[in-house]
Amino acid sequence: MFIGKIVKSDSHINYVCQIYGPREVEVEPSQADYAFGRFVRVAIRSNQNDDPDATLDFALGISQEPVTYAIGVIYDTILLNPAFGSLGPRLSNETQVELFSPDYISEKAVLIYVMVLGMMELGAPSSDATTVFSTMHGVPLLSLELGSEIETMTDEEVRAFHFFSDSASGPDSVTPYLHMGYLPHIIAQRNSLLPMVTLRIIDQLERLFPQNLSLLSIVKRNFAWRLKVETTG
Amino acid sequence: MIEQENTLPTSSPALRKPVGITKGPGETTHEYTFVSRDDAQVLKNGEYVYYELSDPDLSGVNGNRAPLRRVLGRVMKRVPLQLYPDTFLGEPEISPAQVAAMVGYNSLTNELFELHVAIMGYYDSVTGSFINPWIPPQSGKQIFLADDAMLAQILSRKQDRQPGSATIGSLLTRPPDTVPIVLSVKDVVSTHMAIIASTGAGKSYLASVIIEELMQPHNKACILIIDPHGEYGTLDQIANAPQFSEDGDGHGGGYRAQVRVYKPEQVKVRLSTLNMGDMRSLLPEMTEKQQYLLSRALRKVHEMKRGTPWGVADLKQAIKQVSKQKSDEDSEGADDSSTVHALTWRVEQRFEHSFTFDDTQHLDLAEIFKPGQCTVLQLNEIDERDQQVIVATLLRRLNQARMATERGQVHSGESYLPYPVFVVLEEAHHFAPGGTEVVSTSILKQVLAEGRKFGIGVGLISQRPGKLDADVLSQCQTQCIMRIVNEIDQKSVAAAIEGVGRDLLDNLPALSKGQVIVAGAAVNTPVICRVRARYTQHGGESKDAPDIWQQYFNRDNQESRRRSEAPLSNNKGFNLMR
Repeated sequence: MFIGKIVKSDSHINYVCQIYGPREVEVEPSQADYAFGRFVRVAIRSNQNDDPDATLDFALGISQEPVTYAIGVIYDTILLNPAFGSLGPRLSNETQVELFSPDYISEKAVLIYVMVLGMMELGAPSSDATTVFSTMHGVPLLSLELGSEIETMTDEEVRAFHFFSDSASGPDSVTPYLHMGYLPHIIAQRNSLLPMVTLRIIDQLERLFPQNLSLLSIVKRNFAWRLKVETTG
Repeated sequence: MIEQENTLPTSSPALRKPVGITKGPGETTHEYTFVSRDDAQVLKNGEYVYYELSDPDLSGVNGNRAPLRRVLGRVMKRVPLQLYPDTFLGEPEISPAQVAAMVGYNSLTNELFELHVAIMGYYDSVTGSFINPWIPPQSGKQIFLADDAMLAQILSRKQDRQPGSATIGSLLTRPPDTVPIVLSVKDVVSTHMAIIASTGAGKSYLASVIIEELMQPHNKACILIIDPHGEYGTLDQIANAPQFSEDGDGHGGGYRAQVRVYKPEQVKVRLSTLNMGDMRSLLPEMTEKQQYLLSRALRKVHEMKRGTPWGVADLKQAIKQVSKQKSDEDSEGADDSSTVHALTWRVEQRFEHSFTFDDTQHLDLAEIFKPGQCTVLQLNEIDERDQQVIVATLLRRLNQARMATERGQVHSGESYLPYPVFVVLEEAHHFAPGGTEVVSTSILKQVLAEGRKFGIGVGLISQRPGKLDADVLSQCQTQCIMRIVNEIDQKSVAAAIEGVGRDLLDNLPALSKGQVIVAGAAVNTPVICRVRARYTQHGGESKDAPDIWQQYFNRDNQESRRRSEAPLSNNKGFNLMR
């Protein structure tokens, strides 16, 4: 489900998105859809070819081409209200404004901060079963575009994003295993909320990968100790 | 090493793979450090590595590049540079590599080490020693692992199976039998050897291996073993083992090693070979008067007999004569009769019914010392004082015989011994204890100091170097040091032995049974060696007490015991009455 669109970026991996407000989309995103620590994806239209058919197919959602998504995580939310501060008397209250001047654009908005964690190439959106062509953790090469739409991810997709086999040569390049290759670059960012996001991510992964509990517990304990014990101790 | 570069195909640069890159100078002058991943786990402590150094003195000939010298060094310390964080090790069933892979590091290698190397130098085949380049390698130089062939050639002074070689085992850091450690028999025998280890570390095993080597056809040595515990009896298998014989070349030059084992009751000391010092040790706590009388009596009996053997009766006779002579001289007339009586009684009691001391018999030097013969003197069951006297008299006679023969004073007879000998002294701390002087100390010191000139080599074996006289220990130029746990003993070894590096001695408690640090004159550089298996059976093993106790209760033994302990039927009444 689409929850918003990119309106600004702070860096190559930090994007600010505006959540769709009332009447902007058919199904208005609920607060749970853009909760703290949720995984989201943004399609990267890398090969913007000049073929008008392909563009049309894409627009209609019947394209057979695989789509590359940037995968990110929501790590901050800001409620924007430009009207705050202008507390002077108004001639009409909010309900009246809505009723009498429907063309008045509300300037209130919910902004979310998304950090890009990696990329994923998925099969055509129309096909029933999602086929994963490739997964990559780390900084994507291409930047996202302003106005790109942000989608929530299903558990299945989150699982696919974390559990894959290395494409490059490695010790076990055939057998898939749990990856959290984005952890180092999350830690490298200076943001007080990011460690908390990491814990949230681990919580989600613990639910998705019950067989890897002990592996995750190592990272989790390490983070929990540093965040909770060392900072308060 | 320069020649080797051209001759050995294994040393061609294409086949070698560097194991690391030099980082820089180490903590001390003759040390450097290099960094290695060491995936193959070959850079053990004590392993040998080298770098190449072009020699400024030797310029390239005919347009070839100047030959390279291989500067050998020994790995002393291994410091990890990059390890998994502790928190990755928190879950015993999850390997840290798995955690690392999860966070995106999935490389095969993860460890990185800094290795500290003591520079030994490049081998100079002319002088047979290592020459220090006096400069650490440049940063960035490639480090190679010394190959087996190179080490076999330069660690030992002799090559395996050469005449005058004793292969005692192989280099510990390499697979068994790839790099033989070969002692130079000439240096062992002329400048003495010490084997030092805690009990159970394999002292007598190593000594037996060395003796086996000395008895082989390429050495044909002349050995005497002083064996206070009777551990070396099994060496008599040498006489039958095929390794110790050699077919003649058609001229009747065949060889077969001989072993003679003297049981304690066969070890005899002729009374006339004892001197005053021996007497003082054998008859302790003599009064001044007794000592005076005895020394005069000894002088007299020597004068009277002039080199021919004398016995207890002669000595008693001499004591009487001397005392009479003395009382004639002193008109004062102090009565010596009680002293004479006491002394005579003591001499009688000590020597008359002694197994060891005999009027006429003693060990014939020509019989116990023969090339190609190993003689074992078993001294178990003999009192420690007597053992010291036996060793002292034997060494004294041996020393006199060798001196006289070397100086050309004798050409035949009892004290003619025209070949060098090697004496192995087990439990050497009994014969030269530190702190006190016993009867064998001075002659042992003399032999160690002068033996080189006269061809008497001594192999000392001791489990308590701390109790051994420090002078005696430091005279031994070849040292075989095995596991030593006792700290006092470790210190005394370190103090007495300069030839072994401190870093090697730190390994002493870590050595296992049958592993030995060999240093000194008989090898080119100190090495840690794995002792080879013996050809003959080992005799010095500890008793398996539980096994013997078990045997006590097996059925046959119980039966026979019941039979032997059963009271005779007609003795029943007698037993009851008791």
